[in-house]
Amino acid sequence: MLTVKIDGIEVKVEPGTTILEAAEKAGVYIPIMCHHKNLNPFGACRVCLVEVKGSPKLMTACTTPVTDNMEVITNSEKLKRIRKTLIELLLINHPLDCPVCDKGGECLLQDLTYEFGITKVRFDEKPNNSPVDHTNPFIERDIDRCVLCGKCVRICDEIVNVEAISFINRGVETYIGTAFDQPWNCEYCGQCMSVCPVGSLNNRVYLFKNRPWHLEHTESICGYCSCGCTVIIDHENNEVYRIKEDVYKGVNKGLLCAKGRFGYELINSTQRPVTAKVKDGNEFKDVDFDGALNTIYEKLSAVISKYGNDSVAFVISPRLTNEEAFLAQKFAREVVKTNNIYSLETINALPDGTYNDVESSNALIVFNIDVTESNPVLGYSVRVAGRREESNLYVFYPNYTPLKRVATEFYVYKPSELYNEFELFLKALDGENNKYSEAADNFKNDDKPVFVFNPYNPKDVEIAKKVLDKVSNVKLVPAKAKNNSQGIVDMGCFNGMNPGLVETDKGVELREGIEADKIKALIVLGENLAVRSEYFDILNLLNDLELFVVTDPFFSETAELSNVYIPVATFAEKDGSFTNFEGRVQSLHKAVDKGVKTDKDVIVELAKKFGTTLPYETDKIREMIEVENPLYIGVDWNGGIVSYPYKVKIDGDVKFEIKGSGKYELYPAYLRLHSGSYTRRSYDLSKVYGEPIIEINPEDAKELNVKDNDYLTIKIGNDSYKYRVKVDKKILQGAISLPKDFKETAPLFYEGSYLKVDLIKHI
Amino acid sequence: MARNIFDYVFFTEIMQGLGVTLKHMFKKPVTYKYPFEATPIFERFRGVHYMKTDEQGKPKCVGCYLCERVCPSECIHIETDAGPNGERLIRKYEIELDRCIYCGFCEEACPVDAIHMGRSYDVVRPTRDGYRVNIKFLVKKYKEYIEEGKGE
Ligand code: SF4
Ligand code: SF4
Ligand code: SF4
Ligand code: SF4
Ligand code: SF4
Ligand code: FES
Repeated sequence: MLTVKIDGIEVKVEPGTTILEAAEKAGVYIPIMCHHKNLNPFGACRVCLVEVKGSPKLMTACTTPVTDNMEVITNSEKLKRIRKTLIELLLINHPLDCPVCDKGGECLLQDLTYEFGITKVRFDEKPNNSPVDHTNPFIERDIDRCVLCGKCVRICDEIVNVEAISFINRGVETYIGTAFDQPWNCEYCGQCMSVCPVGSLNNRVYLFKNRPWHLEHTESICGYCSCGCTVIIDHENNEVYRIKEDVYKGVNKGLLCAKGRFGYELINSTQRPVTAKVKDGNEFKDVDFDGALNTIYEKLSAVISKYGNDSVAFVISPRLTNEEAFLAQKFAREVVKTNNIYSLETINALPDGTYNDVESSNALIVFNIDVTESNPVLGYSVRVAGRREESNLYVFYPNYTPLKRVATEFYVYKPSELYNEFELFLKALDGENNKYSEAADNFKNDDKPVFVFNPYNPKDVEIAKKVLDKVSNVKLVPAKAKNNSQGIVDMGCFNGMNPGLVETDKGVELREGIEADKIKALIVLGENLAVRSEYFDILNLLNDLELFVVTDPFFSETAELSNVYIPVATFAEKDGSFTNFEGRVQSLHKAVDKGVKTDKDVIVELAKKFGTTLPYETDKIREMIEVENPLYIGVDWNGGIVSYPYKVKIDGDVKFEIKGSGKYELYPAYLRLHSGSYTRRSYDLSKVYGEPIIEINPEDAKELNVKDNDYLTIKIGNDSYKYRVKVDKKILQGAISLPKDFKETAPLFYEGSYLKVDLIKHI
Repeated sequence: MARNIFDYVFFTEIMQGLGVTLKHMFKKPVTYKYPFEATPIFERFRGVHYMKTDEQGKPKCVGCYLCERVCPSECIHIETDAGPNGERLIRKYEIELDRCIYCGFCEEACPVDAIHMGRSYDVVRPTRDGYRVNIKFLVKKYKEYIEEGKGE
């Protein structure tokens, strides 16, 4: 421990601490501009200069480590003068368009100008004036306002690891840009924008819509993927204006992805219905909430008395909070008295590894998942681990993903070969001498190996199990897809599972129940069955149900088939909690009210009609959960981790199947910039990726004579499907990828996740 | 005391008062027959706002919300958005003249010299809605001021 005196205040700090950190500990404020908590010290702006007793020269607080008995003065006339001059120098070229600059009100340069009382710049002002760049779909770039702090460049390199932008030129000519001034080709995560201290990089979705001093802030949890990022919802008058991060909060440490940061406009979407609809003949009629509930109540009671309790089924989506999911299954089990409760989630793989495990691991395998796309913030953790000098990251995937930059080895094989190759790896873990021996040894001998995989593919789960059998200390990380993929299963929304993963009587299988006409009334809470390839073939059967209820924030493809539709709230409009892929339970908080009910309202009110009172307040429901769900006894609803009874469970051998006999191997890609069916409602995200696109290798493209944006027909058996093409050299020759879970691809993937297909150029 | 008795006896105070009356009887009257006659307006009077325009006749306001922020009666309502080419658009600029206390803070706060307090006060309307004026009205007011030569 070193003792340092900062402005007369004595603190004890660890060796290696910078003056800035020591000052923070002492409660002394030092102005900063280029420093960021998550980034390596840089020392570019010099605003943090301090005097050190005994040193003739001034020191930058953010980069200088303290020494024992150091005496630091952070606030003297001399320093004030120097800092003032520094800001004045910046202001020479800075266009003072604060009134139109979106950063006005939360700009570090503005704050410092004010702090140092600069009203007049002593130098000849010559503001930069170059056109604003709007080529990036999410980030507006007015590089004239840049103060060259380098935070954007550093975060894109140090954390996101895309290195899309850099300093161009030297000296006074320096600016931030891309190589050869190409349009930005990156992940659009917006991290660079979030750290920019001035108005040089601005959010285009929020651009000019409001000003920061109007906004109210609500801390909540992102509602898209399973990473469970803490987000700050900025809103005014029930309109969400912006989603921000807070570097001091959440598992994501202030990092977000494009979906979470820019995909929020769908909450404000004018396409969202606000009144319930009931089908009358072939037409939907608007009814009020109570009217819709009455219809449900009448029809449901009729179905129950005519066909029995087991003719009713519930499908619960992971968009529901834990509390809602708990009530939903309670309603099903105790009021309707049916065991037909389904979700399209899995119980084969349960949370095990945490972010911390991933980040601190020196031996990682990412198997058959494009984790930077499916779970971007988990992807950052993998990259952090992969970048460490001593770490080994092995990736197995059918095409190159952004992890290529950090992977020790990136094994790319066509899907049919990939599993065989991994069998070899498994053998190497057993001691067989083959090309994976070294990797296997590194993995096996590490003290904290991590295995990241896709929990929805039974074959992949089986592989995870084998890895676990051979390397007992491995942390398995099932990268679950949706925000509450884990929570709804924990809450008992799974066929044959009570809350807490306690086995109970099984209902019929959903598919069988519908096909065999055993299910007469289906209540779908939030799920969009119509885009799920597994159920594509039975969609038309849903028309014959006596009662088909759908709740969804949007009038989805599934809702179109229903006979009662109730619009419900999105994650920004409700309280509750989500459980992320780590098994971490985190609370969300209602930020806005769009005048629609929540799924909780639907369940509680419907139960009332049946004469049952279910609790409404979040606290009450949680009390019940803590009693009835053994996993959640005494859980901390604000970030507590649930411990699960097992990691993976799979019976017998799973065979890898690839159907068809075509020349090309088709595999499902992860949704680009999407997280399932409702992010596609985001205008901004869909601008970048709005329809499923076939990705194809340049060689194959040449052979087929197609280029970007042409159309290709996929032929499998007698069926053909047409999609747009993107030529990309990251794809293997002879393989093509296409995202699942789009309405347009659901029929194709119904045939199987992996297919051998033929391709024909579509003219 | 003697003086007081004198006043008392001769009603001098009344005489003085009557003197004032007498003096005013022969003066020009100060009554203005509003609305048929205009009243004089003082230099620093703050009346209904106007909005300046640039050379192309476009309102100078850049939608910074500073006037809205500073307004103590919260009678200014602004909405902005990004235009198709990424420019700042003003979707709405409204002042509720019946809530305005004519303090002139908005004028003071405006960084681009757009909103100004004018000299007119004749805005009697039959309904409250009529007091909600938009940017068009404010620009029209500016034109009137230029035409009537009393803008600045
Ligand atoms: S970056 Fe800051 S100082 Fe520069 S124009 Fe924007 S608000 Fe003003
Ligand atoms: S948006 Fe993300 S990936 Fe793109 S330049 Fe910024 S930090 Fe890098
Ligand atoms: S663009 Fe912003 S973050 Fe990047 S160097 Fe300039 S001021 Fe810093
Ligand atoms: S989509 Fe996932 S990774 Fe992105 S911000 Fe939301 S929770 Fe985080
Ligand atoms: S202060 Fe001026 S520029 Fe800003 S909103 Fe008001 S009128 Fe417009
Ligand atoms: S904050 Fe230390 S040099 Fe910029």
